Amino acid sequence: MDVTTDDERLLIEAAQADPARFLELYDRNVDRVYAYVSRRAGSRAVAEDVTSAVFEQALANLNKFEWRGVPFVSWLFRIAANALADHWKRAGRDSHELPADRPDEREYQDLERRVSLFQLVDRLPDVQRQVIQMRFVEDRSIREVAAALDRSEGAVKQLQLRAIDTLRREFEERPAGRSGRPGLHG
Amino acid sequence: MADQLLPDRLDEVIDALVARGDASAALRDPELAALARVAADLRHYPNRGFTTRLRTQLERRSTMTTATLSPGVREGFTTVTPYVWVPDRGLADFLIRTFDAVETRVDDNPGHGIHRELRIGSSMLMIGETGRPDVPARPQAFHVFVDDADATFAKALTAGAMSIGEPEDRHYGERAGFVIDPYGNHWYIATALGPQSLGHALRTVTSYLHAHDVDDYMKFLTRAFGAVEETRAEQPGGVIPYARMRIGDAKVEFGTHPPMPGSYFMYAADPDAVYEQAIAAGAKPLSAPTDQPSGIRIGFVEDPVGNHWYIARPRST
Repeated sequence: MDVTTDDERLLIEAAQADPARFLELYDRNVDRVYAYVSRRAGSRAVAEDVTSAVFEQALANLNKFEWRGVPFVSWLFRIAANALADHWKRAGRDSHELPADRPDEREYQDLERRVSLFQLVDRLPDVQRQVIQMRFVEDRSIREVAAALDRSEGAVKQLQLRAIDTLRREFEERPAGRSGRPGLHG
Repeated sequence: MADQLLPDRLDEVIDALVARGDASAALRDPELAALARVAADLRHYPNRGFTTRLRTQLERRSTMTTATLSPGVREGFTTVTPYVWVPDRGLADFLIRTFDAVETRVDDNPGHGIHRELRIGSSMLMIGETGRPDVPARPQAFHVFVDDADATFAKALTAGAMSIGEPEDRHYGERAGFVIDPYGNHWYIATALGPQSLGHALRTVTSYLHAHDVDDYMKFLTRAFGAVEETRAEQPGGVIPYARMRIGDAKVEFGTHPPMPGSYFMYAADPDAVYEQAIAAGAKPLSAPTDQPSGIRIGFVEDPVGNHWYIARPRST
């Protein structure tokens, strides 16, 4: 058992005894669960609904979780797969781009890569992060972003380029497959 | 020159990504390809407003007392059931004619009126018939999903309802028409139009609660009953045209409108604890929980927008 696995196990046991500690599990895993769900959900609204359902169910059923050496996030992915399947069933859709099953090793790595990217976005200078938020999360046009930030459209395009180029460079400099978060391959 | 144009070229790629999820054109441009790959991943960047809000909800939920709401206590019921007060059985007849409601229970309590329960699709409604036309009704609002909104809308009018909005395709993924029944209840009659429609997340009938300050009211419901926010739309200035919460295993919706104070029946494993919790959250006590001859234990409170909540533990089986 390595340190991170041991750490996760202790944290789960602490959360089972005191639900307030569940928030630490949430902080560690919310980006991974969201990244997993987002690839399959088809819309941001559905991804958020399903992610909410995953953590609410996980909190409600935490005492049923039994440690068997499998990372906690695998349990969350299983809940997410069921929540997505329920969603597609309610929506009357038989097929979708990715099946709502647990990720294979290749997707694990891809999810880790995205989680790393999300963390890098969180550390961008405020104005660059705002541009990313407005363009990619809120689907706002350059004109709308420029108006919101009281800058010219040209200046916003430069900020956008600088932010994405920073992410590209920092990303390329990081060791492959490392998110800085424990437990995924534990 | 190429450097000067790069911000514009990247912006075009992002426009294509956001609109169509397609950045294939960028892959032929060596200067853009690596940036486009990062941009493609950014489409999945979580809204930090959402992750922060969800964290807050989980924090509240994890620290809630175990005064807990009790789902599934009676077959077919959820934690919260709307309880509509009217003078006579005309509402039940309206629901039967309009929504093919099925009457599942009638308790005649001489001197205290009639308690009636009806099933509409996957939902239950309770009706209290006072037998006294002088007692004002307490109308409520409901969002109801049906197979054919136009046909049900027409049936509602035939049964005596008044139109306040002809059926039409709504921007939120429903075909919906709106009526007021003869007792003043609002019925938002909807058919889901696509896979993203709310209809797939809801039972047949969902109470639609009106409040002037929806955010404030939702905070009260979280403190009082452990309600968990599921979604909200927010306009500039903080106006919330739509939101949804879960209370136990029941869902309720919200809109920013003048309140329509109604009554809601809530099952709780420990009604005394939930009653105290509601009062601590700002509810007005109406009647402390007591055991009733019928075997249930029940107390009443009034919330800040005037809704009455009957907090009850069902008779043991």
